[in-house]
Amino acid sequence: MGKIIVTTSGKGGVGKSTSVANIGTALAMLGRSVVVVDADVGLRNLDIIMGLESRVVYTSMNVIDGECELEKALVTDRRVDNLKLLAASQRNNKTDIQPDQMKEVCLKLSETHDFVLVDSPAGIEQGFENASSAANSALVVTTPEVSAVRDADRIIGLLQSKDITDLQLIINRLNPELVKRGDMLNQFDVLDILSINLIGIVPEDTEIVGASNRGLPLIYDGTSGAAGAYQRIARRLDGQDVPIPEFRAGSWLGNLMGKILGNN
Amino acid sequence: MLQRLIRLLRGTEPSSKTAKSRLKLILVQDRLGIDEEVMKELQVEITQVLSRHFTLGEQVEIDLQREEQAMALVANIPITGMKDRKK
Repeated sequence: MGKIIVTTSGKGGVGKSTSVANIGTALAMLGRSVVVVDADVGLRNLDIIMGLESRVVYTSMNVIDGECELEKALVTDRRVDNLKLLAASQRNNKTDIQPDQMKEVCLKLSETHDFVLVDSPAGIEQGFENASSAANSALVVTTPEVSAVRDADRIIGLLQSKDITDLQLIINRLNPELVKRGDMLNQFDVLDILSINLIGIVPEDTEIVGASNRGLPLIYDGTSGAAGAYQRIARRLDGQDVPIPEFRAGSWLGNLMGKILGNN
Repeated sequence: MLQRLIRLLRGTEPSSKTAKSRLKLILVQDRLGIDEEVMKELQVEITQVLSRHFTLGEQVEIDLQREEQAMALVANIPITGMKDRKK
């Protein structure tokens, strides 16, 4: 039996789908068999972020309606072995799927895969209920901003009330410059408030936008910035002991030298 | 660097500190899950208890307010007199 991990945040736009795409790809690159499941029925995103949108034929809705076998609905990512996507239906609503149905699909996937990563929609309504129905652990994504942290706290409470106790926090888009200036919550502030385990800090990385534009998760491209952070998170999920580096803002001179020498 | 100097001279705290203290307080409220209904219930019960000892004026008003480090329950209770205790 593989692990079923729901990725959730409460607030939208904090980087759930980007995190799922990168962590899923990274786990597959480590040799694990991975299915990423888009649970955002009606507003699907994961396919386009991963560059698989043109190859989606069937969705989880077709599987639940009995129109297609589960295996047949999975889109295989051709760039890395063992990575598959189960897309969400774009024409249906979140209420067209019930938690029990979603649970059955995820449990079935976990029989044949090491990791089932479920990308939850924003919000605390049915979409979240569906996405978390089968999960035995959760990745909570937040940015170091008041609104995101508040919503993360709410989601953590809801997950705990569902007896999902293996909760890990991803602090996304941390900007070391702003932290240094005192204008952004640092990791210790966020952890002090949310008091769950930290699995990784992803620094703000302008490359992310281009990666989404191309449909090529950043993880393929390198080991620095956000890509490196997602790689480390994947290794930690895979049971490896990888320390979390501290992101420090460089000095003015250091940054300049870095730019000149191109080793940023 | 310059911003930090200006801040130091002005005596304002960094916004991350403000963010943290605001979050801590709002989360107490969120986590307690105190809503309108609970507040109304409290109002009725407090009125009942107090009216055993006092004659109360208009409506008792209660409110949750944020203090420096904690949440405070603030009540405004107009009293018009004591209840007659002699039997």
